[in-house]
Amino acid sequence: MKLEFVKTICPYCGTGCGLLLQVRDSRVVTTLPDKKHPVAKGTLCIKGWAAHEFIHHPDRLTQPMLKKGDIFQPIPWDEAIGLAATKFKETAEKYGPDAVAGLSSAKCTNEDNYLFQKLIRAGFMTNNVDHCARLCHGPTAAAMSQALGSGAMTNSITDFVGADCIMMFGSNAAETHPIIMGEIYKGKDQGATLIVVDPRRTEVARNADIHLQIRPGSDIPLIGGMMRHILDNKLEAKEFIKERTEDFAELKNFLKEWSVRKASEECGISPDQLRQVAQIYARAGEAMIVFCMGITQHACGTANVFAICNLAMLCGHVGSAHSGICPLRGQNNVQGACDVGALPNVYPGYQSVADLVMKDKFERAWGRPLSDKPGMTVTEIISSSGTGIRALYIMAENPLLSDPNQNHVIESLPKLDFLVVQDIFLTETARFADLVLPGSCFAEKTGTFTNTERRIQLLHKVVDPPGDAKDDFTILCMLGRALGLDYDYTDPAQVMDEMAEVTPIMAGVHFNRLGSAGLQWPCPADDHPGTRFLHAGKFTRGKGLFVVPGYTPPKEMPDKDYPFTLITGRMFSHYHTGTMTRRSSFLNREVDKAFVEINPDDADAHGIQDGDKVRLSTRRGSISTTARITPRMNRGAIFAPFHFSEAPANALTIEELDPISKIPEFKACAASLVKE
Amino acid sequence: MMKDLKQDSNGVKSEAGNTPRVIVFACKWCGLIGADAAGRKHAQLPAGFRVIPVECASRIEADAVIRAFSSGIDGVIVLGCHLGGCRFNAANHRTAKKLKLLYPLLETVGIDSKRFLLSFGTAHEHHQFEDLINRFYQGLQRLAPMDAWSGSYLSEMGQR
Amino acid sequence: MSIVNDARAIVKKLLEEKQLDGVLGLSCKHDEPVPFVFESPEEVDSLVLEPKWLFAKLAMNIVRTSPADFRLGIVCRGCDERALIELIKRNQLDEKRIHVIGMACSREQAEACLCTRPYPAIPHLGEKVQGVDPREEETAKAFLEGETIDRMQRWTKELARCIKCYGCRNSCPICVCVPCKLEDDLWVRRGEIPADMVSYHLIRAFHLSDTCVACGGCTDACPVGIPLMLLQIAMRESLAKEYEYEAGTDPGRLSPVLSDLFVEPCEVYEEPGWPDSFKVSDET
Repeated sequence: MKLEFVKTICPYCGTGCGLLLQVRDSRVVTTLPDKKHPVAKGTLCIKGWAAHEFIHHPDRLTQPMLKKGDIFQPIPWDEAIGLAATKFKETAEKYGPDAVAGLSSAKCTNEDNYLFQKLIRAGFMTNNVDHCARLCHGPTAAAMSQALGSGAMTNSITDFVGADCIMMFGSNAAETHPIIMGEIYKGKDQGATLIVVDPRRTEVARNADIHLQIRPGSDIPLIGGMMRHILDNKLEAKEFIKERTEDFAELKNFLKEWSVRKASEECGISPDQLRQVAQIYARAGEAMIVFCMGITQHACGTANVFAICNLAMLCGHVGSAHSGICPLRGQNNVQGACDVGALPNVYPGYQSVADLVMKDKFERAWGRPLSDKPGMTVTEIISSSGTGIRALYIMAENPLLSDPNQNHVIESLPKLDFLVVQDIFLTETARFADLVLPGSCFAEKTGTFTNTERRIQLLHKVVDPPGDAKDDFTILCMLGRALGLDYDYTDPAQVMDEMAEVTPIMAGVHFNRLGSAGLQWPCPADDHPGTRFLHAGKFTRGKGLFVVPGYTPPKEMPDKDYPFTLITGRMFSHYHTGTMTRRSSFLNREVDKAFVEINPDDADAHGIQDGDKVRLSTRRGSISTTARITPRMNRGAIFAPFHFSEAPANALTIEELDPISKIPEFKACAASLVKE
Repeated sequence: MMKDLKQDSNGVKSEAGNTPRVIVFACKWCGLIGADAAGRKHAQLPAGFRVIPVECASRIEADAVIRAFSSGIDGVIVLGCHLGGCRFNAANHRTAKKLKLLYPLLETVGIDSKRFLLSFGTAHEHHQFEDLINRFYQGLQRLAPMDAWSGSYLSEMGQR
Repeated sequence: MSIVNDARAIVKKLLEEKQLDGVLGLSCKHDEPVPFVFESPEEVDSLVLEPKWLFAKLAMNIVRTSPADFRLGIVCRGCDERALIELIKRNQLDEKRIHVIGMACSREQAEACLCTRPYPAIPHLGEKVQGVDPREEETAKAFLEGETIDRMQRWTKELARCIKCYGCRNSCPICVCVPCKLEDDLWVRRGEIPADMVSYHLIRAFHLSDTCVACGGCTDACPVGIPLMLLQIAMRESLAKEYEYEAGTDPGRLSPVLSDLFVEPCEVYEEPGWPDSFKVSDET
């Protein structure tokens, strides 16, 4: 009886639930929850229960393909690898090393990501490597590293039980991180006051004790008003500020211009409620802040995160078991991809590329010369296709649906001399490639994912990739060797061991230590048990830094022609660009067409009824979608999920980038809605 | 029938009357006869109930009753032939036993069991039907409208 | 850990004597318990009995997809065995293809599950302990007793957290219908959370009215901690009171609501204020 249950980790969100895949005769037939998993504890969300559905889908890529004319022709592996290596080398020789770039994958394992960034850096002497964290928590990494010294979630997912106050900014965790929402509810049941800040009245907002329905993009005024009230009433944590922080004077100065009344006018929350919330947070014994895309996906996203760090440090709510700052990472391994250096400005372990000591260390470790110039980000790479960047290697990313202003991406990609896309399906981006390499999914590889609470967990291979597709690890080794690197790895465990040597935060992490609960970094030594919460006693950078947040309201405000604020985001039964979930029959049955959420009064005013076809337009583009009337939205705001490639919300979004972390403002632009 | 309910309950604002809305599933061999007769006599009955004729009370599954409540209907009545007289091989026996299990379930979640009436062989004559409806409405008046608890919550979610 | 040793001894013997072709249980061979079909006696050294894991649905699928002469043993707790019996009664599983190795649960487990019958018909393993009455447990009381309006508010508050993971439906050993009514847009509105409180949860609860075996799988699988099993308690009590029926205890007795009143009579139902509405008629 060839029946087996193999434990692995869910490929969807950053919660990193353990699950069991049931394999019969080399096919994965169903998913079961893992009762002993420390986070999921025998539960799964709708996507987790359907994690197996896309694995054997007939659309899976099975052979390398070369575009000849307009058609993809299958070619053998050695020809594909040889061609890719040659083309990249030619481009680097002709236009210089910085003409080559790579987009790594937040869906692939830590080992895959490490090999990818090493390939780009050591193979081409450029730092042009980035991944989709740019589009989600780039501001988090940038701001929290500067303010606290570490950009990761400070506590663990189970730490909500024990907090007295949980404040959620811009997070719809019930749809994006359902299992984490379960833990937050447990915390609420144990006595925590749940405060939710969100322009939409989501399920999370309705189940909260207090819902602050702010104007989109007005988080800094809200937090400013709160901090002002806290200072005026001497509720700040004086000892904490004195002993553990720096630049408090700058913050106090900044707060002089944010009276509670001004803050209230700017964010749309009444002064009384603002004061009440400030009081609750400041007075709590232990308090957790949770935040997600509503904070980061703005043109002032980095500033928003600074504001949150300021608030937490002002009240001393960082650095203990149930007090901290919790960014909820989106992809299953976006935390890991950042940790192992798939970023243009840092090596593995967040060690800066501009730092000559680090450059020296990695040059010796990798045996190749490296560049000390920080590279380009995802959005910059796409924009400068054809001019700055000539050859691009994309591994398991779909910028055509996930990057803002889709028309611009469609114009830019063809300008590249050579585009290689490695993925498991022929995504919308892969259609533009010159060379397509068939990779493997989570069930077909052994390696590690790191979830949002810094937990490095081991996946176990369950089945082989279909047809002639190969493990991403194998493909990277083949390409690395073709480029002259010593990619003689035979086992991902060796990659983890190498990572441990060069990455202080993961120095004690090896496959044989990862057992059933994984290890939470920092894990600096072979006998270290991992770290549950950060910044105990002192911050990673020593003292926490107050940084004045530069507030900018959303760049494109509604006007006569485009009277709505368009908010884009996610919903519970689909995942991001839908590459996997739109091919899962169960999830697609739940929702199979694009929609836009409209307030009932707005709908009346425009003569739109539930289910009508509507044309949603912005200055960038226009899509046809279905109206869904719901009082969840406030007047003047509409919401469209970006999962549906036939009605791509990113054809509408604006390319305004945050100046520091270069994240686009997905959460606010001006739109118009007309019944079709 | 179900489609009507859906259209009514999605997005269209109901003329918020204070009269509770009730659905009566009436078996056409018994309950419907009483309902028709009451109608022909122009009986004075509270507005707000709709009679849906069915071939046999066994045609009604509990899901329909539950769906009615989830749409904000305040009360549901199922009328069948008396328990010796079902034309379809005592199908009403099984209906009686099965639908009776709804009472403990509705009570558990706090939907008062006075909102659901399961009655066999009691509405054949017009006065019996009138009596039944009036007494049912009397029972409902003492309860908050289903709107009030499901409505305020459901309408917040835009679900009906 | 002698109960584990007893279990291993029993399973080994059954496999050595070729009485069974495989035994479904938990194996810890990869340092974490996962379901496993033990086929050779050597493998049985990795058999473990914790944590609580329900095998009825898994067993049904294994039996369906294995050759016709494959006899499967199952290491079963009380609720698991009841679920198997219910599946057999509903023609989802051939009882000749399975063999139950019954295991009685500990008192702690019974309290954790609020189980009234924490033992199988024949406990080959463990000692029978007395069951727990959910109505005596403090947190469960708020969902079952008290004023109607309080209960409504309590349930509304809990069910408002539902994230529509379908975990309750997926983990329930009796929920095997294809297609499932909960996925039908006519009955349960799709694409929004929480899952329509009344129609999703009450339709599911009612479909199980006479087959729920109170295994607690639904409550265990709920990520937001809704005590879903409590929805079933009143209906089970009603069946016990009217027909002395408990799902899963008697393989030879079909659900009483499937037969007419002459075969399985029930007590006269008296709705307060409606004495005539529902009378078991003596006339034929």
